[in-house]
Amino acid sequence: MKNAIEIRNLTKKYDSKFQLGEINLNIPSGTIIGLIGENGAGKTTLIKSILNILKIDKGSIKIFDKDYQKEERNIKEEIGVVLDDMFLPENLFVKDINSIMKHVYKHWDEEQYFNYLQEFDINKNKQIKALSKGMRKKLEIATALSHHPKLLILDEPTSGLDPIIRSEVLDIFLKFISDEDHTILLSTHITSDLEHIADKIIFIDHGQIILEDSRDEIMDNYGILKCSLEYFNEIDKEDIIAYKKNRYDYTLLVKDLDKIRKKYDQCILDKITLEDLMLLMIKGEKQC
Amino acid sequence: MLGLIKKDLLMVKSNLKMICIIFAVYLFMTYNDNTNFAFLPSFISIVIMMSTFSYDEFNKTNAYTTTWPNGKSNTVKSKYITTIVIMLVSMIITILCSICISMIKNNLNMEELLSTSIGCIIAVSLIQAILYPFIFKFGVEKSRIALFAFSFLFVGVITLLSKSGIAFDIPESILSLLDNYWMIIFPLSAIILTSISYKISEIVYLKKEF
Repeated sequence: MKNAIEIRNLTKKYDSKFQLGEINLNIPSGTIIGLIGENGAGKTTLIKSILNILKIDKGSIKIFDKDYQKEERNIKEEIGVVLDDMFLPENLFVKDINSIMKHVYKHWDEEQYFNYLQEFDINKNKQIKALSKGMRKKLEIATALSHHPKLLILDEPTSGLDPIIRSEVLDIFLKFISDEDHTILLSTHITSDLEHIADKIIFIDHGQIILEDSRDEIMDNYGILKCSLEYFNEIDKEDIIAYKKNRYDYTLLVKDLDKIRKKYDQCILDKITLEDLMLLMIKGEKQC
Repeated sequence: MLGLIKKDLLMVKSNLKMICIIFAVYLFMTYNDNTNFAFLPSFISIVIMMSTFSYDEFNKTNAYTTTWPNGKSNTVKSKYITTIVIMLVSMIITILCSICISMIKNNLNMEELLSTSIGCIIAVSLIQAILYPFIFKFGVEKSRIALFAFSFLFVGVITLLSKSGIAFDIPESILSLLDNYWMIIFPLSAIILTSISYKISEIVYLKKEF
């Protein structure tokens, strides 16, 4: 399988405090990759580095096996972008976007853009500032899709949207990915969205990738073990990835569920959600 | 780049009502008073362009356009070109309106009208040449402070030099050259200054991160 994005030893120092350090990453074509992590973990810095908005200090980034140094224009023709709170000026009208974008992208599809507007029920004669947050987000997605990109890079595309619009937006992404040449890199805090659509999860914390695995592997192999305060000391330390002490019991992040189920049959073993995983890996204690 | 120019022009279009009101006021003032207000539309074109910078900043459009093919390198170029286009259009409209009013009032002085209009364009070009590198470096809000500091420094240096007793006698030959060829020298200087300003803005902007 070809890689849509290849990152080697990416380092980016930002704001003198934060550093994205030695990131190595392959994003295969035809997949939806979910980027998770708490605020300030480095998700947006990674996305901006991939988009060449930020100049990296060290390493290399290749998009569809092309280098930004030599083929920036060609690379950007193939990328559709939805960035958190960054878009065209809000005093423009929805129909103005078409007049602008047809001079920006070689393959801008006017018909497709107006079809999306119709599909999303967006009035083309409205000013951007007159649209609700959900409508505006759908407009950004319509704009990102209308030049037939192969790669969609989305930073918080569903934040602030109600569940119905969120579900509609996720359906658009699933429709986009039905073409096996298409790839989506999606950063979000709404981890339940990724549980529905992502093929692979990348977990970033303090500028480092701390977990990179397929969604199925994570959902099938990781679990939450709940045990009493007394029983906690009987659990092997090697079996605990992270834990959190509650008032009456312990919540443990564990891996290899078959083994854990047999070994600790008097404890409750729950399925994991990405939110649990994030919380325990970031906020949980690491050593007993 | 055409997309970026179009974006700015469409932003200007969305403020068309306000621009029309200002032009109407200008026409009214010119009609009722014999004073030539030809400078007004040229300076308003700078104000219009400043508003496009503000909108871009408010919506973080500069970061967004960086994701476009050649978006970053063309942003600076497009701002300078759009300013020149707006300046020229406003000058042509101003000249045409002034001619109409003067013909009605039967006091057309073409030489004065042209010299005032060209003078205004040069003045606006100078303002643009100084202002834009600051805007690209610091953004609209901070650039006002930076520009104020720069102006303060400039006036301070001139005052110090004049108080130091150094004589600045401009030779008669240069004065007569300026007098005879100002129609060539001043526009040429404006073009050179704008070109230098553009280069500085481009260097600043290409290094900028969002």
